[in-house]
Amino acid sequence: MSVLLSMHGIRKRFGGVQALNGVDLDVGGGEVHALVGENGAGKSTLMHILAGVHQPDEGRIDWDGKQNVALANEHAAQQSGIAIVFQERSLFSSLSVAENIFAGRQPVKWGRIKRQELYQDATRLLREVGLACDPKTPLHELSAAQQQMVEIAKALSLNAKLIIFDEPTAALTETETTALFRVINDLKRRNVGVIYISHRLEEIFRIADRVTVLKDGVGQGTFEVCEITTDRLITLMVGRVLTFHRAEAQDRSATPVALEVKGLSDRSLETDVKTVLRDISFEVRQGEIVALAGLCGAGRTELALSIFGARPRDSGEVFVNGQKIEIHSPVDAIGAGLAYVPEDRKEAGLFLDMTIAQNTAAGSLKQFGTWWFDDAKGHAKAEEFRNKLRIASYSAKQVVQSLSGGNQQKVVLARWLLIRPKVLIVDEPTRGIDVGAKAEVHNLIRDLARAGTAIVVISSDLPEVLAVADRILVMREGRITGQLSGAGATEEKIMRYASMKVAA
Amino acid sequence: MPELLQAESRASVTPTARKWKLPAFSRELGLAGAILLLLVLFSILYPKSFLSLENFKMVLRNLAFEAILATGIMLLMIGGTFDLSVGAVASMIGVVTGWLMQRAGLPAPIAIGAGLLAGAAAGCLNGLIVAKVRVNALIATLGTMGIYQGIALLVGGPGIRFGTTFGQIEVGGLQLPVIIMAALALVLHYCVTHTRFFRQYYYIGSNAKAAHLSGINVERLQIIAFTLMGLIAGIAGIVFASRLATANSTVGRGAELQAITAAILGGASLTGGRGTIWGALLGVFFIALIKNILIISHTPSEWQEIIVGAVLVLAVAMDFLFSRRKAL
Repeated sequence: MSVLLSMHGIRKRFGGVQALNGVDLDVGGGEVHALVGENGAGKSTLMHILAGVHQPDEGRIDWDGKQNVALANEHAAQQSGIAIVFQERSLFSSLSVAENIFAGRQPVKWGRIKRQELYQDATRLLREVGLACDPKTPLHELSAAQQQMVEIAKALSLNAKLIIFDEPTAALTETETTALFRVINDLKRRNVGVIYISHRLEEIFRIADRVTVLKDGVGQGTFEVCEITTDRLITLMVGRVLTFHRAEAQDRSATPVALEVKGLSDRSLETDVKTVLRDISFEVRQGEIVALAGLCGAGRTELALSIFGARPRDSGEVFVNGQKIEIHSPVDAIGAGLAYVPEDRKEAGLFLDMTIAQNTAAGSLKQFGTWWFDDAKGHAKAEEFRNKLRIASYSAKQVVQSLSGGNQQKVVLARWLLIRPKVLIVDEPTRGIDVGAKAEVHNLIRDLARAGTAIVVISSDLPEVLAVADRILVMREGRITGQLSGAGATEEKIMRYASMKVAA
Repeated sequence: MPELLQAESRASVTPTARKWKLPAFSRELGLAGAILLLLVLFSILYPKSFLSLENFKMVLRNLAFEAILATGIMLLMIGGTFDLSVGAVASMIGVVTGWLMQRAGLPAPIAIGAGLLAGAAAGCLNGLIVAKVRVNALIATLGTMGIYQGIALLVGGPGIRFGTTFGQIEVGGLQLPVIIMAALALVLHYCVTHTRFFRQYYYIGSNAKAAHLSGINVERLQIIAFTLMGLIAGIAGIVFASRLATANSTVGRGAELQAITAAILGGASLTGGRGTIWGALLGVFFIALIKNILIISHTPSEWQEIIVGAVLVLAVAMDFLFSRRKAL
C-alpha cells in the first residue's frame, strides 16, 4: 500500500480556540481510514483543511508524492484530486441530477453544453453508485438518501484520488448504508483512498482498515481496526479530566411531575429533515434538572421544538402539572408555562441591537404596563437581574451586541427568570462561552431548579451534562436509548448509549 | 443490495414525480395559457379595436423598452440578485448619448458606442458594490439609482434632442426596437440554456455556498451579470431615445419595478436559481396585454396598477400553495 496522503503536526487556531493541536494522519491508496472523535474534537476542521477551506497554521501535508503541498482553496484541492462528500449536502435543489454532478464542469463544445454527453456521463456515474434514476430528474424530487448518492457521484466525477466521507450514513437506512459500503469497496479496489468519518462505531468495524482517534484537537493515535475494541475507542475519545464542579445529583422521584411527554412522534414534511422522532416518552419533575445527551443529529433539538410547538408533530401528548395541553404553536406553549431557550442565541434568542433591559423584558411586556412600556420599571427590573446574574456590563442600557457570549446567555436566561416558567428547556446553554461563564450559567440553572422550575438541558458537552443533571436521558436517531441517574453516570456510559445501535 | 435501492428509486422518483409532471406545469406555460385565454376572450369581445394588426404592433412597440430591461433583470434574478437602477441607467445613457451628439458634436456611431460603454461601466460599478463590497443589492442599487438619475438630469435637464432616429426604422412591419428586443432575447435565451458559462448563474442562485465549493467564481460572475445589465439598460435607453428623437431624462423612472414584476410573473424567484428568458418576455407581454385591454374597454387607468398588482400576488401565491401541497 502506497502512502497517498500524509499530514504531520497540523495545528489550527480560530480566535481563542485551538481547534487542532498537532494532528498526524496518513492514508494509503486503497485504504479506508476512519476518523473518530466527539463533537468538536476537530474532525471537521481537519477535513476542511484537506478540502482547501481552511489553511493550517502549522504542520505539513505531503500529497500524492509531492512534498509539503499547499491547498490554497477549494478549487486547488479539487484539482489535485481531493473530493469531499459534505455532511450538509452542497447540492442545487432546482437543477437536474446531471447538472448537480457536473456543477460548472459540464462537457462543452464552443461553450455550448453537450447535453447528450452530459446525460450519458451522469447515467454512468449514477450506475456506479447504484442509483437508478433519470439524470434529468430535478434534484428536489429525490429522497435524502438518493441526494447523498448524487453527492457521491459528484465526487466520483472529479476522478478523485482521495474521497472524504463526512457522516455519510446519518440520513441513510440500513439498506442504503449497505449500498454505500459497496461503493466504498469499489473505490478501494480502484486504489482510491477514503477517509471515513462517523459516529457509528459499528460501521467503522465493518468498513475501515485503520482508525485515527481525535480528542480536543489532539491525535490519540492510529490503530488497525482488527486490533482495537469499541470500549478502547470510546475511552480514547472521551477520557479526560472533569473540569466542572459536579453538583450533587438530587433524586426527585418524590416531587410532582411538571412535564410529561407521552408517545411523541413526528413525520418529516420535507425530505431533507434527517431525524424523525420516534415514540418518545419521558417526564421531568418539579425542581429537577434532566439532561438530554446524545450526538449531533440525534433529534434533541427537534424534540424540544416539537414539544414547544415550533415543529409539526404527528402524535403524542404533552402534560404540564398533570394537565393535558394542546400545543400548536409557541404561543400555546408559553401560555401553558413552557419556555425554550434556543441553541443559537444570536439567531433566535436575542435582539442584538437592543439593550439589556429591552431584551430582559421582551418575554413579559405585560408586566410593564398595559398600553405603554414603563421604562423606569423595566430598567429597574433589568438592573436587578444584571446585579444578581453578574452580567458584566456598565448599565442595563448597554446594547447586547457588545456583551461577551457568556453574558449574552445570561441575558437570555434573565428573560426567562422574569417569566417564571414551569418548565424550561435550554438548548446548548454554554456553547461557545468560556469555562468561567459556563460555571456561572450552571449555577443559574441550578438556582432556577431550586425555585421549582423543571429544567431540560440539551447539551453535547458531556462534562456539562454530568455537572448539572439530576437525571440523564440519552438520545440516538430520534429515540431515547438510555436513562442514567446523575450520580451513577460517566462519560463512557453516555457515549455507549449515544453510539449504540438501535434495534430496527 | 443495489437492486433494492433501485427498486426504491423507481418507486419514489419515477411514478409519483412523473404523475405530477405529466402536464409539465411551469410558470411559463401557465402564463402562456393565460395570455392565450385573454387573446381569445378579448378578440371575441372587441373584434374591431382589439383584434387588429395595428393594435398588436402598438402593444409590441410599447413593451419593447421594458422587455429589453426585463431580459437583463431575469439574468440577474436567476443568479439570485437584482438591480433597481436599470431605469435610471437607461435614462442616463439616453441623455448622455444625446449630449455627445448634440453638444460634443460626435458622429452618431461613436456617441452610441461611448454611451453603451458608459452603461456597462455603470452596471459594473453596481456589480463591484454588490459582489466585492458586499452591500445588499437592494440598498446598493437603490443608492446608485439616485446617482444615475441625478446625472441624467444634470446632463440633460428635462430632456435633450436625440441626433439620430434609427429607432423609427421599420423592418417587415416591425419597428427596430421590437426587433432588437427579440434578437437580444434570443441570444440571451440561447446562452442561459445552452452555454456552460451562463448556466453557472443557476448554480449561484440555487445555492451560492455550494456553487463556491464546486469551484464556481461567484464574485466574478455577479460582476459580469451586473455589467451586462448595465449594457442592456444602455441599449434600451438609446433605442428608446432614437425612437422618440428625444432623450427624456426620466423616461426610465419606474421601469425597473415593471421589469422586476414581469420577471417574477415569468417564473423568477427573489432567492434565485429559477427562471427563463422567455418567461420574462411572457411576463412583459402579459402586463402589456392587460393594460391594452383595460384601455380598449375604457376602464379607468387607476385600475391598471391595481389589477397588475393583484395578478402578481395571485400568481406567486398560487405557486407557493402549489409547491407546498406537493411537499406534504
